[in-house]
Amino acid sequence: MPSIDQIPISIVSPDEMLTGQADAVLTEIAGMLKRLLDDGIEGSIDLRGLALSGADRVWLEKQLGRGEVEIMLEAGGWSVLTETAYPGVWKVMHRDDRDRVVAELIEVAFVPAIIRPDNGDVKKGHESLLLNLKAKTAGV
Amino acid sequence: MERSDTLQEKMEQNGMSRRTFIKYCASLASLMALPPSAAYAMAEALGKAKRPSVIWLPFQECTGCTESITRSHSPSIEGMIFDMISLDYQETLMAAAGHQAEEALHAAMKENYGKYVLIIDGSVATGLDGAYSCIAGRSNLESLKEAAKGAAAIIALGSCASFGGIPKANPNPTGAVAVSDIIKDKPIVNIPGCPPIPVVITGVLAQFLTFGTLPELDKLGRPKAVYGETIHDRCYRRPFYDQGKFAKTFDDEGARQGWCLFELGCKGPVTYNACATTKWNDSTSFPIESGHGCIGCSEPDFWDAGGFYKALSMPADPLKMAATAAVAGAAVGVAISFANRAKKGAAKSAHETTKLEDLEK
Ligand code: SF4
Repeated sequence: MPSIDQIPISIVSPDEMLTGQADAVLTEIAGMLKRLLDDGIEGSIDLRGLALSGADRVWLEKQLGRGEVEIMLEAGGWSVLTETAYPGVWKVMHRDDRDRVVAELIEVAFVPAIIRPDNGDVKKGHESLLLNLKAKTAGV
Repeated sequence: MERSDTLQEKMEQNGMSRRTFIKYCASLASLMALPPSAAYAMAEALGKAKRPSVIWLPFQECTGCTESITRSHSPSIEGMIFDMISLDYQETLMAAAGHQAEEALHAAMKENYGKYVLIIDGSVATGLDGAYSCIAGRSNLESLKEAAKGAAAIIALGSCASFGGIPKANPNPTGAVAVSDIIKDKPIVNIPGCPPIPVVITGVLAQFLTFGTLPELDKLGRPKAVYGETIHDRCYRRPFYDQGKFAKTFDDEGARQGWCLFELGCKGPVTYNACATTKWNDSTSFPIESGHGCIGCSEPDFWDAGGFYKALSMPADPLKMAATAAVAGAAVGVAISFANRAKKGAAKSAHETTKLEDLEK
């Protein structure tokens, strides 16, 4: 009997066709950028909610290119936020604590909102820093 | 230990950061087809949400739905949401038993009258006045009517609660029906699947907690965001279908090349669910990826739809379709699914038993 790796099964990825959806995504991004510039309104597109083929994704990736910034965020798993060649347009990939992709977005913003700490977090950070300083002064 | 009142407090107790929570909400928003910006609103509102009472009654079921939910991934946050809701009655999970359990159920119903979410898994036996399925000496039928009275909303979890499922399969000896066949005056969300995709229930609960609303439903009462498209619409083998490349047996060259499983009985074209995108077993794969066609388990009467290995109907002219598929892929799927619904209806009235030959055709 052949061992399992001798059984000649090869699953071929069929994602070879461009569906035309990626063009529409690009046009939408251009509209969002204009809104960001004119009114400061941020926007995002859920890439997993679109029926993009593998080929569409490769095409879109190529069109968007890469910018100068890449942010790694570790919060319940790694996230990578990459600036595209168009400042203000970010590619965001969130992974969970088991490294599975849980969200894939295009964000149009000066800085993606998840990066900015909120007031409550800064306040708590400030309080704990003060406690730390106090402990140091007290020689603890 | 005292239980925290809001999810925010619970998160802080668990050392979970706001960003972790926003990420989780982003994945829920994506699943529920809410705009990605809703993730922030969701995170804020969910953080402040108080624990709602949830009563979960199991009827004619196999406990597969509970298994699916309790073994779902991301135990840290989904588990927390379950921890955060006040699961006042769930026979499989609760420590109490017998009279104690029944008392807990009635106390929760009284205390939260008009406000609790009622989850039902399993179909409702109506034969012999419901005597085929009883808990604590009362029929499921009776318990359902009583519990539904005080519910703010009902979630029918799994194909049995949603549509009758396997207990309702021909010849339906217990007179099994769906929850919606009995209860007519409460909002009901059907989450079919055998079992259903675990994250869908968290998504529905999260939306209810966040916005106080239920998701938009299709004509079968299913959240449109999850059940809005067929497996076929999102299937990675779809280009092969469009090119007319079909596996004819489970071990032929086509099967090895990963061709479309339509002729081997795949019910993907008539099955509305999100398995092809959310996948199963920690997002590892879904049945078609493992080489087996979809059996259509989230559709009404799937068990009587003519045999899992019988092709729905032959595609009209697959090669011709390929030329137009790139522009009209979805429309092709819709046309096929209409044709198949008619066929499915016919199969239902003349139920055929699946024989070994069907599997080997
Ligand atoms: S028929 Fe089944 S295997 Fe073929 S493309 Fe549709 S869902 Fe995928």
